[in-house]
Amino acid sequence: MEVEDLKEKFLKLNFDEAEFHVDGDDMVGFALACGETAARYTDPADPDFHATPTFPARFHGRRMLPRDIPLGGKIPLDAGKAVMPQKKIRPGTKLVGRSHLHDIYEKTGRSGRMIFLVSRMELFDEAEDLACIVDSRMVVRERPGE
Amino acid sequence: MILDLHSHSIASDDGRAKVENYCKWIRKKEVPIDGFVLTEHRQFDFAGDYAALARDFDLTILKASEVETEYGHVLVFGVTPALTERFDFGAIGLPLVRVIEESQHHGAIAVPCHPGRTKVGMCAHIETLGVPDGVTIVETLNGGSRGSEDESAQAMAAQLGYQGVGGSDAHIVSHIGRCATRFPAPVRSETELVEALQAGEFEALSWK
Repeated sequence: MEVEDLKEKFLKLNFDEAEFHVDGDDMVGFALACGETAARYTDPADPDFHATPTFPARFHGRRMLPRDIPLGGKIPLDAGKAVMPQKKIRPGTKLVGRSHLHDIYEKTGRSGRMIFLVSRMELFDEAEDLACIVDSRMVVRERPGE
Repeated sequence: MILDLHSHSIASDDGRAKVENYCKWIRKKEVPIDGFVLTEHRQFDFAGDYAALARDFDLTILKASEVETEYGHVLVFGVTPALTERFDFGAIGLPLVRVIEESQHHGAIAVPCHPGRTKVGMCAHIETLGVPDGVTIVETLNGGSRGSEDESAQAMAAQLGYQGVGGSDAHIVSHIGRCATRFPAPVRSETELVEALQAGEFEALSWK
């Protein structure tokens, strides 16, 4: 697996699109599970009721990676998420999530070489305004001798 | 003057600490250091400006890089824009000798870090690649070392006549200052840090 080859072939190309409906009860449940107590996150009657910043992390498309990306049969491990809210998400909003590979890079550690894949989902609301960016980082570890 | 020469902020992909939180932690916990150097992985953080934090917390906050070579990871102190044009800081498997030479040419200094660590430390690679030219200092105390990794680093340094520095390799706030380096005079800039390292008067410290 050569990182430069993967970058050239797969970066910045949309590989998935999915719709999500934002439900107020889900928003409250997510907020409470996160330990939130502020009414703007937990009380649908609050005039500023909206989703917690990390709420969009619960949305998943049909695919996490491009169908034909060559990972040598390895299953990537979760290596963390980053959520970048762009505007408040209200209940009843319909979001469209479009995914692409935002970055591919390699590093070395005690276990050897690792390749990191950053799958970025951009969530747009009905007005096609960018509501949130969710980066899902995945890692593929090279086995000794590869 | 005691500086932690090896730390990572959220500018590194695996860093979980904000620079401000390092400062708060150092002061609240009375960590016995006067400052720290941010050595972000495979990059130089040109954008980060920590002058206000340094002033507010009365700490020295300097910037450097941690790059990856065929001999393992290497700290580069005194990075300049011109140096970042000379090799790809984001690459893995950079030739160590080239990193050392280019650093010297641009007024910087390269210091192999956590040399006792498997795969990403210099000790293991010397067995297969030989002793590299140009190394004068290695990190003999690393806050993230396990088992006998620091002892291996110190033994190698003693055998090959390298001087030793210390750094925490902190990725989270509570690890800052676990290891550090004492200098005899104040170090207030990246240039002064390089000069202090070149002068050779320093001592690695550990509070692990």
